[in-house]
Amino acid sequence: MPALDLPPRVLDVLRSFYTCEFTTVNRRGEPVTWPIVSHYHEPDGVIVLTSSIAFPAKTQNARRHPEVSLLYSDPTGSGLVDPPAVLIQGRAEVSELLEDRPWMLPLFKTTLRRQPEGRSFVANALVRRLFAFYFQRIAVVVRPHRALVWSSRDFRRKPEDLRVE
Amino acid sequence: MWNRALAARGRAYADAVLTVVGADGYPASVRCKVAFDDAAELVRISEPAPAAAGWSGAACILLHRHNDRLEDFHELQIRGALVPDGAGLALRPSAFVTGSGSSTTDRMPHASAPLELVRFALIGRRNARRYLAKRGAPWPPVDFSALVRVVREVDAESKNGRNTR
Repeated sequence: MPALDLPPRVLDVLRSFYTCEFTTVNRRGEPVTWPIVSHYHEPDGVIVLTSSIAFPAKTQNARRHPEVSLLYSDPTGSGLVDPPAVLIQGRAEVSELLEDRPWMLPLFKTTLRRQPEGRSFVANALVRRLFAFYFQRIAVVVRPHRALVWSSRDFRRKPEDLRVE
Repeated sequence: MWNRALAARGRAYADAVLTVVGADGYPASVRCKVAFDDAAELVRISEPAPAAAGWSGAACILLHRHNDRLEDFHELQIRGALVPDGAGLALRPSAFVTGSGSSTTDRMPHASAPLELVRFALIGRRNARRYLAKRGAPWPPVDFSALVRVVREVDAESKNGRNTR
């Protein structure tokens, strides 16, 4: 039984979309949105994403202002037929990724499956040295509290509004 | 502040992600069609989604795409403020921002353009040094053996035709 009580078609989106549009709020109260690979960690019902210490702005924003959102609206590569778009709003916990977490290797595996060329960053020792910052990461764990769902990704319609907590 | 070169790149996208911060502190995003007006220096949003009714103030537009191997990344973010525009809305930009830091292209660095990749590595390494200097302690060594094991597992899955995304 998944920890998040959401309809199967919504959970399929969280499991299958390659990227989402992740928004944090900067110190001026402005939204800052970037595409990012996320991982739905089913046992705990959280969405995890990580960022290199070389590009920490979104993690610093989330630490300061933990209310964040993730819009799943680009189905490229997902294999889903006519999926909905899903906006998740939730609270973020931010920490440096210094020790093993249960979702760490599953997240890495998911990313590798979706981005086969990413293996060259790990498999080649010289590349690992040059891009060491890529492996020094900060984790953002989002606990969803609300989901807005647009059937067939049709934003002209009013979304379903699902409270998760 | 307008950027004609990046506005031209923005016209290649079918739609964009528009985000504001709601009164509850949570960001909210929708997809919408946008048009870049060089003369008026506005990004026009012709048919705002019903979910965006009443949106105003600081906003962010994100345009991004990737292929089904999570490559060929393009990212363009436009920050600014929403202003009324006839029956619709427009964003008056304060900044055009790309993921690579380029002021002329939305394309992210890739192995097919080695100089771009080297530049990206140098920027990443410099930024990481800054982060670690502020942190006041070096990053603990990364255990690559676990990551290499995952690479081998994913390679074996691919060989056996079992890549499950």
